[in-house]
Amino acid sequence: MAASGAAQSAPLSDRVVAYRIEGVYNAKTHALDATEILTYTNKTGTTLDRFPFHLYLNAFQPKSTWETEAKRIGQRDTTEESARWEDKHYGSNEVKSLEIVGAGDVTKQMKFVSPDDGNVDDRTVFEIVPPKPVKPGESIQFKIHFVAKFPEVVARSGYKRDFLMAGQWFPKVGVFLNGAWNCHQYHATTEFFADFGTFDVKLTLPAKWNVGASGVQTGARDNGDGTQTVSFHAEDVHDFAWTTDPATIVVEDSIKLSSRTVKIRMLMQPAHMASAPRYMAALKGAMRKFDEWIGPYPYPQITVVDPAHGASAAGGMEYPTLITADTSWWMPKSVLIPELTVEHEFGHQYWYGMVATNEFEDAWMDEGINSYVQVKVMDALYGKTTSYVNSRLYTLGQRGAYLTDYAPVADLDPLSRKGWLFVDDGSYDAISYSKSALMMVTLESLIGEKTVMHGLHEYFERYKFKHPNPADFTAAMNEAVGQNLDWYWKQSIYGTETLDDCILKAGSERVDWYSKAPEEKGVTVYHNEVIVQRKGTFELPVVLEAKFDDGSTVREHWDGKDRWHRFVWDRKAKLVSAEVDPEHGYWLDRDRYNNSWTEKADRRASGKVAGYWTLLTQWLEQALSWLA
Amino acid sequence: MNGSVRSSAGLVWHHQRLVWWIFAVNLVLGWLSSLPARMSLSAVLDHSLESSKLVTGFDGGAFVMLMQRPELRVRSLASGVVGTSLIFLVYLLFIDGGVFTVYLEDRELNGTEFFQDAALFFWRMLRLALYSIVPFGMLVAADNDIAGYARRLSTDAPQERLGLIVNVGSKLIVLLLALLVRLWFDLAQAQVVRDDERDVFGTLLHSFKLAFTSGLYVKYLGIGSFAAVTFAAGVGMWVYLPHPATGASFVVLELVTIAQIASRLWLKAASARWVGLQTPDALPAPWNETATETKSTTPP
Repeated sequence: MAASGAAQSAPLSDRVVAYRIEGVYNAKTHALDATEILTYTNKTGTTLDRFPFHLYLNAFQPKSTWETEAKRIGQRDTTEESARWEDKHYGSNEVKSLEIVGAGDVTKQMKFVSPDDGNVDDRTVFEIVPPKPVKPGESIQFKIHFVAKFPEVVARSGYKRDFLMAGQWFPKVGVFLNGAWNCHQYHATTEFFADFGTFDVKLTLPAKWNVGASGVQTGARDNGDGTQTVSFHAEDVHDFAWTTDPATIVVEDSIKLSSRTVKIRMLMQPAHMASAPRYMAALKGAMRKFDEWIGPYPYPQITVVDPAHGASAAGGMEYPTLITADTSWWMPKSVLIPELTVEHEFGHQYWYGMVATNEFEDAWMDEGINSYVQVKVMDALYGKTTSYVNSRLYTLGQRGAYLTDYAPVADLDPLSRKGWLFVDDGSYDAISYSKSALMMVTLESLIGEKTVMHGLHEYFERYKFKHPNPADFTAAMNEAVGQNLDWYWKQSIYGTETLDDCILKAGSERVDWYSKAPEEKGVTVYHNEVIVQRKGTFELPVVLEAKFDDGSTVREHWDGKDRWHRFVWDRKAKLVSAEVDPEHGYWLDRDRYNNSWTEKADRRASGKVAGYWTLLTQWLEQALSWLA
Repeated sequence: MNGSVRSSAGLVWHHQRLVWWIFAVNLVLGWLSSLPARMSLSAVLDHSLESSKLVTGFDGGAFVMLMQRPELRVRSLASGVVGTSLIFLVYLLFIDGGVFTVYLEDRELNGTEFFQDAALFFWRMLRLALYSIVPFGMLVAADNDIAGYARRLSTDAPQERLGLIVNVGSKLIVLLLALLVRLWFDLAQAQVVRDDERDVFGTLLHSFKLAFTSGLYVKYLGIGSFAAVTFAAGVGMWVYLPHPATGASFVVLELVTIAQIASRLWLKAASARWVGLQTPDALPAPWNETATETKSTTPP
């Protein structure tokens, strides 16, 4: 990315698209009147005779596919039960005119299409057929006059009072991939997919309002009429988002990474300033870890937007070189949501921003891989068991949080399912984020933590600024780690197999069980037995650790293919405990309580939880006693 | 006033057998309600190494995974909790007659006397409790409405903290009003017992005025504050106990429970003492409206 619009640096991507957009934002109507000039260069090797475009903001209309799905299966901010239509959530992208430069106005030829569900009322995708097909190597230029009407913030985008988060706000062309256009409708559970290119955006909006955007600011002019015009340039990115708010406080810093110094710009809500150092520390920590583990961050700037209160639906979102965070004025230090959000969204600069997978079809490839690296980064920065909540009352780590999401829906949907076809938003989240992360964590137990990270590094290097698919990922990982892991990918990515290894039976009995002689420690020989059951359908090699009362420990291995396996030891010691997965690395195991067995009962945990149960009952009784 | 608070505290102290009995029933019912859960928990946790996550610390993930287990049947177990709570409520209503008699007469009753009075007044106490659902229900409904409004303020008002301020402020007011309602009904209970009054509704109507004029509300505030402070102190102490100290945790939280029971009895004792010190014609009653106006405002 260059410091100015004029100074272009060497391309990092194939730069299929070049967007030049000029718009005037009306802060009273929350609408942007803009003109977009899109230059599309055909690098597909195929002659293109039609062009589909996204109009994402049209999703926020009552009969759209997005709203219909939100009501039926939920969306990221509301469940299906709590979803309801409110007029303030209306949004639209209205194309006033569309011209193909050199071929004239083709507005009347615009045709809305619904490739995913045939919903004739959905207007989130339109197609245009140019008078002349575009041959490989040729370019076509579209000039689009459009009005973006923002909703009160819903699903990442919109306004709240004076705050505006403008995401998915301009007509965006689809991606021609594998011989066909990929331009899905906007769904309640899906995100986005676009081609790399350059963006030059000029926005006119109220004077003195702070503005943040993808890329870097290249100019600012006070127009003397109560407005200002601000220019931004971004390159080798596939989207452009911007935000404005008169109230924000700008916090700036920088970080020196291995390849360059990166400017950090945070737009903070005044009431959230206590979270600013937390955001900054998490962001810097994440940037260093990604630089060390995955690869260099190539852009000169990263912008962090702290949404206004009541606009949390705009929080926790990634755009190229701009991320939105999430906090509140009362956020306790022990709850690491601000840190987690910033880390996660920054991670998307790699898994989405640079490795630009198809978020409609393969959500796990950005959300899941990113969630895995989030586990690693948050572990490193905040501790393995305390990286989510670290309070005196209780602690929670990333793995535990993901497992609680994943376990209840483990066998509903495979990772490979297209985003809008999941049973509901809960399953989409639990599978795309949690299962993927746990799949990668579990992989560490099979091939080693460093090997997994090495594989991810190689995958990143190979596919940055490209659009890899699941097969590309698995092939790259197999090659990088030097093993064929297809048996693992088949179960974890393409299947709904669940992992639940357990100790079915364990115990010790005298070998001479018929003898009436007294037992003598160190002399009597015992038949020790452990039966491990594969209760789930996932086949993974099993490690069993058995401990004996003479202090000895043994580790045994089983390929985990049959439904159960019997382990036997005849020795002068009795079994005191047995545990499958003794390193606690199989986080895909949906029930960790049945992984172990101890000969002696330890009633402290059950006593503690039951004690709290008793106490809660007593207090409920007390509360009701107000009636007596 | 302080003297009266002290003297009613003295009543609770001298007749602390009541506190211990109520606590014992409270504890036993709590323990009984936890039995099914205790057995399920025991089956899952006692022979599992994973359970150490709930002993050496309190791992939120391990706890949620535990609660998600089908054999724990959290929902059906929770209905058992509600059931035992209702049993405790009926128990309290049953002994209310005896409790008020003890405080009104300031003497130990033997078991027969106590339960005779308990049985004598049970239906009247039950009726009063049913009547009390109306004002308490109105307060709960108002609190719900205000909380909803406060939530909207939290997202829509320009001042981010306004919603919370409204919510906390309204909850405080609702709590103060709930205390007033409790005073109103405690006075009615005390009068019903002292006068063996069968016109429960009439007594209730007239004790409403007393709730404002008796001067007892300030005492109720003081006792309520004591309950709040002991609760906060106990829970605060519990938070700082090390996780493996389950025994100490249990003791501290049970002490909090005892303090709450004692505070509730303290309120009853304060009402009983005040009613007990009034001459019958000083109390507002359908047959002596004027006396109410002139005498009931004078504290004992």
